[in-house]
Amino acid sequence: MFRIIGRRLLEVVLFILFVTFFSFLFLRLAPGDPALTILNVDELNVSQEQVEALREDMGFNDPLLVQYGKWLLDFIQLDFGTSYITSQPVTEMLLSGLPATLELTIGSLIVMLLVAIPLGSLSALYKDSWVDHISRYFSIIGAAVPSFWLGLILIDMFAVRLSWFPTMGRDSLLSLVLPAVTLGLAIAGVYVRLLRSSLLDSLGQEFVRAARARGIAERRIFFSHAFRYSLPPVITVFGVSLGSLIGGVVVVEVLFAYPGVGKLVVDSIRQRDYPLIQGYIVLMAAIVFVVNTLVDISYRYVNPELRLKKGTSAR
Amino acid sequence: MRKILLKTLGITVLILLLAACTDNSSSEGDKKHLTFVYNFATNSLDPNVDSSYVPLRAGMTETLVRLNEETLTIEPWLAESWEGTNEGREWTIKLRDGINFQNGEPMDAEAVKASLERSLKDNVAIQNALKIDSIEATDDKTLHITNSQAFPEFVSELVNPNVSIIDVAAGDFVNNPIGTGPFKLESFTPGSKLELVRNEDYWDEKAKLDSVTFSFNEDANARSLALESGDADVVFRPETESIESLEAKDGVKVESTETFRVHQLTMNMQREALKDVNVRKALDALINREEIANSVLLGYAQPAKGPFPDSLPFAPSYSDHETGEEVAKEYLKKAGYSLVDGKMQKDGKPLELTMLTYSARADLPLIAQIFQSDAKKLGIDVELRQIEIPEEYMAANRDWDLATYSNLTAPRGDAGYYLNATYHPDGALNFSGADEPELTKIIDELNVTVDTDKRAELAEAAANYVDENQINSFVIYPDTLVAYDETKVKNWVTTRSEYYMITNQLDVK
Repeated sequence: MFRIIGRRLLEVVLFILFVTFFSFLFLRLAPGDPALTILNVDELNVSQEQVEALREDMGFNDPLLVQYGKWLLDFIQLDFGTSYITSQPVTEMLLSGLPATLELTIGSLIVMLLVAIPLGSLSALYKDSWVDHISRYFSIIGAAVPSFWLGLILIDMFAVRLSWFPTMGRDSLLSLVLPAVTLGLAIAGVYVRLLRSSLLDSLGQEFVRAARARGIAERRIFFSHAFRYSLPPVITVFGVSLGSLIGGVVVVEVLFAYPGVGKLVVDSIRQRDYPLIQGYIVLMAAIVFVVNTLVDISYRYVNPELRLKKGTSAR
Repeated sequence: MRKILLKTLGITVLILLLAACTDNSSSEGDKKHLTFVYNFATNSLDPNVDSSYVPLRAGMTETLVRLNEETLTIEPWLAESWEGTNEGREWTIKLRDGINFQNGEPMDAEAVKASLERSLKDNVAIQNALKIDSIEATDDKTLHITNSQAFPEFVSELVNPNVSIIDVAAGDFVNNPIGTGPFKLESFTPGSKLELVRNEDYWDEKAKLDSVTFSFNEDANARSLALESGDADVVFRPETESIESLEAKDGVKVESTETFRVHQLTMNMQREALKDVNVRKALDALINREEIANSVLLGYAQPAKGPFPDSLPFAPSYSDHETGEEVAKEYLKKAGYSLVDGKMQKDGKPLELTMLTYSARADLPLIAQIFQSDAKKLGIDVELRQIEIPEEYMAANRDWDLATYSNLTAPRGDAGYYLNATYHPDGALNFSGADEPELTKIIDELNVTVDTDKRAELAEAAANYVDENQINSFVIYPDTLVAYDETKVKNWVTTRSEYYMITNQLDVK
C-alpha cells in the first residue's frame, strides 16, 4: 500500500516538474514580457531606458534556467509568488476564483449526465430508431456549435426574452444555470455517442445473454449489468478530456462574467503575468492528476472484474 | 420518503423559477439603484496600482485635480489650488478644507503625503510618471513637492486615477480601499462586480443614487444583451453590430463620444523607401479614411487629420491633405517611382511593403486590409503580418515598413505624454525611429515650459512638424459608445477621458 502511495507521489513530483518546466519554457519563448504592461506605456510617458531597467530589475534578462530555478525554489516552499500586475499573492488570486470554476464544472457535468445518460441509453436500446437518429444529430450539432454562440442564444432566449435567469454574474444558484447548460450541452454530445457504443457492446456480451436465459427482468439486466459494464471506457475518456473541459470553462466564464480562474488566466496570458499563469498551470495539473487518480480508483468499483483479478493475484 | 423528496425538489424548483422572474435591476421601494456594466474585469481594487481604474470610475476614490471634460483643462478636486515654480521643479498644493475619508478620518496633508508616497512605492509606472523627489506637509492643508527634474505638466499627471488619494492607514487596498468619493464599497466580488452605497458624509453634494452595482463583462455581445434584458441600466461599449437593434428598442439611447485616441499608421522611417517624405505622403494619400470610418467602425469614428483631435486646445489647424490614387501617384512620381508592368517601381525595384497589425484591437486588421487593397490598385504590394504584442515587436524588430497602431494622444489633457513617448528619440513608443533634431528641440522645450498657452503653442508646433514631415499617418479618431435606458437613467455623461463614470450627479427617474 505504502509503496503504491510512494510511487504515486514520485509520479506527481516528476509530472509537476515536467509540466512546469515546459510551460515556463514556452511562456518565455513566446514574444512579450510584462514590462510594458507594468509601466502602463499606453498612458504614461516611459523612456526606453526605464523599460530596460525594469526588465533587468525583475530578472527578465537572466538566463531562462536561472529564472526557472528561482521560481522552482520558491515553489518548493509553496510560494507561488505575487502577480506582476496586481501585486497580489498568486495563491490568493487562484483560490478566490476556484470555487466559481469548480461550481461551474460540476454544474456542467450534472447537465452533461442528465443529457448523456438518458439519450445514450435510449439510442443504444432503440438502435437505428428515431431516438437514435435524433441523438446522433444532437451529438453532431453539439460538437459543431461553439459554446460562446450557444451561450449567446441561451442568454437571448432565457434571459432577455423569458427573463428566467440573469444574463451574467454569480449571485445565486440561478446564475449558474445558463453557464452550466451551455457548457454541459457542449460536452454532452461526445458522451452520448460513447455511452451508446459502449452499451451496445456490453448488451452483446455473453453475460447479458446468460442473464436473459435465466429470465432476469430486462430492466434489471440493463441497469445492474450492462450499464455498469459499459462505464469504464466512458470514465476513461472523462479523465482524459478533463483538460478540454477546463478549457471550455474559460470561454463560458468570460461570456457570463463568471468570476472563475479561467477568466483570470485569460487576462494573465494577455498581460504575460508569468507567476499567475505558472500558478494556474500547477493548479490545473494537480486537478487533472487528482481526477485521473480517482478515475483509476473508480474502475475497481464499477468493474468487479478488476477487483477479482487483483484478488487472484494477491492470493 | 421518495414522495417527500420529490415534493421538496418540486417546491425548490418553483421558488427558484419565481425568484428568476423578479426584476432585480428595478429600484426597491423608494431606493434609487443603478446597474452599470463595464467592459473590463479586474481582480484588484487597488486604486494606486490596478490600471483598470475601477475605484475612481465607480466613484469610490478621487484625485487631487481632475480633467474638465468641456474645456479639457485641469480643475481643482481634492486640491483647492496649486502653484509651480522653478520650471515646475517645486510645487505647492493647497488642499480643500473639511474633507474626510469614507471611514471618518480627516484627509489632511499628512494623509495625502502618505497616499502619494504609497503610489510611488508600489507603482513603478507612477514613479516614472510623477518624478517626485520629496513630499513635505508644511501645514495641515499644504503640501510642498519637489521633483527630480523640471516638470511643468506635473499637475496634469496628478489626474491619473492611480494617484487617487486613499487612507493608507486603513490597509486592505486590494479588496476595500478607503477613498473620499461619493460612493462607498459595500462588497466586491473579484472579476465580477462591486456593490456600492452612497457616502452620507461626502464633502461635496451628496450622491443622488442610493446604491450602484458596478459589474464587469468582457463580452460585448453579452453586455448588449444585459441591457436588453433589463439586467443593466447603462452598458459601456456595447457591441457595435448590435447598436441598430439596441436603438430600435424603446427607451434605449446609444451615445457615441469622441475620445483622446487615434488609430494611426506608424511609418518606419529607417526603411529605405520610407526615408523619402514623398513616399510617406503618397501612402498617407492612399488611406481612405471615410471608408474606414464608415465600414470598419460603422460610422462611430471621425476621419483623423493629425494626432490631436480638433477639440483639444492645442490641436493645430492642420493643412488640408489631398487624398486619393491620383495624389498618391503624383507623390510617387516625385519620389522617382513609375508604374511598369502593373508594379510601382524605382530603378527596377518594385515598391513592396510589410505592414504589421494585431488583433487586440479588432478594427486594426480591417484597416490594414483596406489599405492593402487600395495600395494594390496602385501597383504596390503590401504584405500583412499579424503580430501579438505590437510594442514589443516593433521595438525589437525593424524588418517592417508600416504598422497599424492605436495611441492615446492626450490622456490627461496634456500633449507631453504622446509627444515624448512617440517622437522623442528616447520615447518607449517611438517606433517610427523619429530622430529629428528640430522636433526633439520643440519637445525638449515643452518639457521645461510651465505656461499653459506657451505649452499649447509648442504642442501645436510639434504636431505641425509631424504633419508636414508625415512622420506617421493618422487614420481615424474612434468614438466610445455607451448605451443606456433613457426612460430610467438621468444625468449620464460619457466622458472623453473615460475616467469619470459613476458620479454624485448620476440619477434614476
